[in-house]
Amino acid sequence: MQVIENSKVKETLYLEKLENGLTVMIIPKRGMKKKYMIWGTNYGSNENVFIVPGENIKTEVPNGIAHFLEHKLFEQENGTNSLDTLTALGVEANAFTTNDMTAYLFSCTDNFYPAMDELMNYVQNPYFTDENVEKEKGIIGQEIMMYDDYPDWKVYLNAMQILYHNHPIKIDVVGTIDSINQIDKEVLYKCYNTFYNLSNMAIVICGDFEPENILEEVKKRLKESKANGEIQTFYPEEPDTIVKEKIEEKMEVSQPMYTIAIKVKPTDNPEEMVKRDIAIQILLELLIGKSSSLYKQLYNEGIISRGIGANYEFSENYAHVIISGQSNDPQQVYNKIKEEIKRQQQEGFCEKDFNRIKKKIYGEYVKDYDDVENISNMFLANYFLGINSFDYLNQIDNMNVEYLTQVLNDVFKEEKMVISIVKN
Amino acid sequence: MNYIKKEMKKGIKLHILNTDKFKTNLIAIFLTTKLERKTVSANALISAVLRRGSNTLKTQEEISKQLEELYGASFDCGIDKTGDNQVLKFYIETVNDSFLPQSNENILKMAIETIFDIVFNPFIENHAFHKEYVEQEKNNMKQRIEGRIDNKRIYALDRCIEEMYKDKPFGLYRFGYVEDLKDINEMNLYERYTQLIEQCKIDIFVSGNVNEEVENIIIENENVKKLKERQPNDNTESEKNTIKQGEKIEKMDVAQGKLVIGLDVNSKNEDEKYNVMIYNTILGGSANSKIFQNVREKANLAYEAGSRYFRYKDTIFVNCGIEISNYEKALNLIKEQLEDMKAGKFTEEEVENAKKSIISSIKTIDDEQDTGITYYFGQEMSGNQKSVEDYIERIEKVNKEDVIQVANKVEINTIYFLRN
Repeated sequence: MQVIENSKVKETLYLEKLENGLTVMIIPKRGMKKKYMIWGTNYGSNENVFIVPGENIKTEVPNGIAHFLEHKLFEQENGTNSLDTLTALGVEANAFTTNDMTAYLFSCTDNFYPAMDELMNYVQNPYFTDENVEKEKGIIGQEIMMYDDYPDWKVYLNAMQILYHNHPIKIDVVGTIDSINQIDKEVLYKCYNTFYNLSNMAIVICGDFEPENILEEVKKRLKESKANGEIQTFYPEEPDTIVKEKIEEKMEVSQPMYTIAIKVKPTDNPEEMVKRDIAIQILLELLIGKSSSLYKQLYNEGIISRGIGANYEFSENYAHVIISGQSNDPQQVYNKIKEEIKRQQQEGFCEKDFNRIKKKIYGEYVKDYDDVENISNMFLANYFLGINSFDYLNQIDNMNVEYLTQVLNDVFKEEKMVISIVKN
Repeated sequence: MNYIKKEMKKGIKLHILNTDKFKTNLIAIFLTTKLERKTVSANALISAVLRRGSNTLKTQEEISKQLEELYGASFDCGIDKTGDNQVLKFYIETVNDSFLPQSNENILKMAIETIFDIVFNPFIENHAFHKEYVEQEKNNMKQRIEGRIDNKRIYALDRCIEEMYKDKPFGLYRFGYVEDLKDINEMNLYERYTQLIEQCKIDIFVSGNVNEEVENIIIENENVKKLKERQPNDNTESEKNTIKQGEKIEKMDVAQGKLVIGLDVNSKNEDEKYNVMIYNTILGGSANSKIFQNVREKANLAYEAGSRYFRYKDTIFVNCGIEISNYEKALNLIKEQLEDMKAGKFTEEEVENAKKSIISSIKTIDDEQDTGITYYFGQEMSGNQKSVEDYIERIEKVNKEDVIQVANKVEINTIYFLRN
């Protein structure tokens, strides 16, 4: 097993890549009663066109299928549902799907091994029937309608519509009522057999464990499997440009909601991903963070009343900055942010502010290492991007004004910015 | 973990949760006062004005810079209802000194001083809050109250509570009312603040890898020294609701209908509430529950379907998001589940499973700092002194008969449906 220590947070990662291709990561947490296990596949709602291993033609599947598959995996041949079985063990079980990955997880204090039996059994044994696929359409249909009532989700998705021409990041992870109606058991099996190969998956376990022992426990529960080689997935050609700058939609909200997004050229170099992510976080604080002059101005003028949310979302094939919040005058927020970007690009930022924000971000990274759930989810999502989460703690030391200035100029480009608004 | 509680002065308690599991220290100040129509809006506004500036750090910008210097200490405040009380909560979380590059900075001490400064030493001019802050925060509060409609699910739950507890303290909205704001100014708000600080119950929590020094830091703090003894004015009894409110249907622009059902539980004492916790878990508190299984998995009417027990009010709220035309169907299915519970149509195994899931969540309170604080504050407010072990032991004792007894006391009070 590979042993990677980090002296800053005083944690150790044990990593093993098994012969069948599965990666197992263990982060021991002495003295914690809570234990957590998550099993993910590097497959999310974005993978809609691919070649099934062994075939030579492209398969295109309905939108929302990765999420549908996540729901259906709990169903067992003997008529039981694994979520019920896990709940009956007194463990908290769940699953989630994002644009980039799907994951199955549980946390517990007792019954870890019986829960591990169940989790590892159901993820390796799909059981789809016409009947159980049909019934799920009703449930997911209500899930889609639930999101329809979330204006904050709508405003975000709309921003993606005008930021991207073709990239599947535009599509809602859950799909639409129409798209999920096209799903049947055959296509679910196709997706499962392609993307749930062990070589496309990783397990993270965090809690009070001996790494060697827990690794053996994982191995014991794995079915025989061969790595099925690289999976070929296809993405449509995506121009660098935006589609259009502005989109508005009517919904019953107390105050307009906005999402400002900036399209960024993605990189597939993990080291660059981490560096850029840190730099953008620092820059967003300097631009519109709570101690920034723009925040003060907008707040005092009553244009904003709460914090502005800001983050950077990326994978190997898409990347964008998101700035969001509520305001009576979103257009003005947008204009002021543009002006502030331009000003900082021209005048540069103050080194003292930069150092203070660096301290803040460092503290936030350290805080990520308290909760077993948070640690595991972070290592898993980063792993699929080729990143070791510890890299963030190491790279932050290398941040300097020159690099930040470069990112400020490369990323925060006026012609790559859009605004989406939802209002009455 | 080691928990110590001390009464520093009458009405002011210090709770120390000493643990070496975390990389952070969490400090919290809870101000608890009775929920009243006449003060609810001003109290909520006070917490918003306090975070704008203290006597030492006069602007939000200065506060933010100070927090950033403390390696991203996070300051947060919130307003909760705990039974018939309004609780103003303030938190500051910092990285423990041993995880910092330079370990000679006493971050914990500075964090404690900062939070006390914000809460107990506000920016005051001529016996009043800073006018500009009050006016701005009145506007923000108005938006926040109006913003209730933005999350339809929570809105439906809040509306059900309001209907069920009409004209009762618990029926009040925790952020107050827009119509009250116009009469509030920097003078009368400061007056209310002084009153609040003199009368409210104060609980100070410190969770983290701390030594005896922390107690001294707090006791010796100038702002703490200024606080007087008090007979706290919180409500120790929670007013029972006796009037049935029936069915309430409201319209709004929603895609999905939101159904909330308020149930009176009618427990006769605190001890019986442990039985209710098991009852609620079986009814709608987990993926194995009757409501989740029947409304979602069998009838496929909903994605979200479940129930929550509000222990202080001894009330259960059932909720689900459904197609509007399925209202009657879902309602009848839920009523059936309530009847089945009364008739004892559940297994011993379900009782055992419910125990396991509650016990598992109780065991994790040592592993999450904020959960730990919430637990001990809950014990404090309910007048219980149950250790985690006693709590688990009490849950273990619940049997099927106890749950059937609970089921037969449960009555529907209010049915609320938000539709288009």
